[in-house]
Amino acid sequence: MAAADVAYAPPMKSGKAGFEAGLMDPQHRIRITLSSRSVKNLEKVCGDLVKGAKGKDLKIKGPIRMPTKVLHITTRKSPCGEGTNTWDRFEMRIHKRVIDLISTPDVVKQITSITIEPGVEVEVTISDP
Amino acid sequence: MGGRGGGGGRKARNFATFRLFPRAGAADPNDRVFVRVDNNDYTVPGFADEDSFDSSLSDPSAGDGNFHSASGPLPEHVRREILELGLPDDGYNYLSHLRELRPAAAAASSFVPSSTARPEPLPLDVKAYDASRVRVGPSDGELDEGKTMCKVAAKTAPVRRIEKAVDPDVARLLDESDVSHVGSEDEGLEEDFVIIANRAEGEELEEEDIEEMEEWNGVLSDVEEEFDFEEDEPKPRVRRLLDEQFDLLALEEYGDSDDDDRVVKDGEYELPSEAIDELKLFQSQNVCVDEEYRTPADFVRQKQDSSTADDVDESARVIKKCAEYAERYLNESAEEEVVVLVSESSEESEIWDCETIVSTFSNLDNHPGKIETPGIPRKRLPRVFPGETTTTNDIIKLHGKEKLPVEYLPQRRRNGEKKKVKPVEASVTDKFKKGAENETKEEKKARKAAVKEEKKEARKAKKELKGLYKSETQKAQKVAAVTGPSSIRLI
Repeated sequence: MAAADVAYAPPMKSGKAGFEAGLMDPQHRIRITLSSRSVKNLEKVCGDLVKGAKGKDLKIKGPIRMPTKVLHITTRKSPCGEGTNTWDRFEMRIHKRVIDLISTPDVVKQITSITIEPGVEVEVTISDP
Repeated sequence: MGGRGGGGGRKARNFATFRLFPRAGAADPNDRVFVRVDNNDYTVPGFADEDSFDSSLSDPSAGDGNFHSASGPLPEHVRREILELGLPDDGYNYLSHLRELRPAAAAASSFVPSSTARPEPLPLDVKAYDASRVRVGPSDGELDEGKTMCKVAAKTAPVRRIEKAVDPDVARLLDESDVSHVGSEDEGLEEDFVIIANRAEGEELEEEDIEEMEEWNGVLSDVEEEFDFEEDEPKPRVRRLLDEQFDLLALEEYGDSDDDDRVVKDGEYELPSEAIDELKLFQSQNVCVDEEYRTPADFVRQKQDSSTADDVDESARVIKKCAEYAERYLNESAEEEVVVLVSESSEESEIWDCETIVSTFSNLDNHPGKIETPGIPRKRLPRVFPGETTTTNDIIKLHGKEKLPVEYLPQRRRNGEKKKVKPVEASVTDKFKKGAENETKEEKKARKAAVKEEKKEARKAKKELKGLYKSETQKAQKVAAVTGPSSIRLI
């Protein structure tokens, strides 16, 4: 039964988890927050994590994209006050993705031991299910 | 969760947050650790807690050291490692601060001499020639300088690129020398090789040894001094000019009469005569470093009597002389003295008198105005204060285009104006007398508002005008800065 479930319907992973609850007791709700300034690296890491989690048949809520935070700094271009009042507009974009899992912490440690691109910050929050 | 308004009861914080950080001191950037970043009581047994323990255990030195370092002395193996690294043994575990070298970095840090690098260029006063073709002929007696120079010059070629000549044999020897040189005392020179060589000279072939000794003498003549003089003097050695000078010096210094060898024999080196004279002069000056300090007077006197007990006599002599002078002073008569008076003739005072100098300032810096009688003092503040007039006169007169209260402005003594003011005053006072009592407040407000408006307009106009001609002003300022006094500011 368990095998059939897995083969047929990926969304039914919760059933499988329930079955095997006896083996791995401490199932936690795990939230992985990834943040970065570069979208490419972030998406890559995201994809790897999701792939890894799916490979271990965990219940996963796919990368939720948070709104990008744009930090602005607007300064005068001139070092002195003279001249036409021109302004520089600098911005820094922070992208955030959230991945929710239900699994044991060990598995999560394994998954996150993949090569992470530079510049991507990983934060893991573990809670009771 | 929107239902909870601000400041409602907090939810139970049973979660733990971890962050991935690269491990401190790790070579691999992928070597990361989960570090807890919140303060909740929630514990996750299978996560970062174990991780930190693992790291501490796997590090052999830090296993006990981490926990005991604060309390007792470090365990032995830890201390040994610290000492091996050359760090001080003061009870602190320096191993926790060590950093692993990255493998890539280690490979990159080994030195590979570059093939394209050019060695240091020669200094400007040095020129390099390739002398590989010069044949060094057998050394007969005839070392005719001219011929050898020609031979050498013919065969040498100028060299453009200078490479450091690395002979493989030499390189090998250099490499070996560091390692194998420590214990090779048999091959190396002994410390007293000079003495041995000197001693052995008299017995064996004199010529060869003499030539060898020649080279050492210049350097080690003072070293020889330190050795016992009871050993044989270097008699068989060819005497040089320096030896003679040394003997002379020794004679003068110590007063011994060593008249053994006065044979002047020129050695291989022949100094030019000027140098010899110089040296003699130098030596005769007897400038030497003695154990005690000597003034030049001492040196002069020393030539006459070379005794060190002069100091006591000196002081006695000085005292005697002082006494003599004192006596002379007392006894001499006044006529004998010739007092020379030197009068300061200040010639400047003859040329200048107080009428000719007005000021030491020059017209280049100062632009004195024409001197006039001081004018009437002009005061900025109005003599008539507002407080006074309200009691005397309830009406404030506005005059002029800008409708300003003339009486409250700084007074200007112009006769023309005065005449104008008075008749105007009379007509205006007639007009305003009627509604004076009732409308004072409104009138005041209106007046003040009007004044404000005028001033505002004036300011705006001024600013406009200023901006309009800003570039012109700048140019003018530049010109004024160069030519005129620095106090002028146009901008």
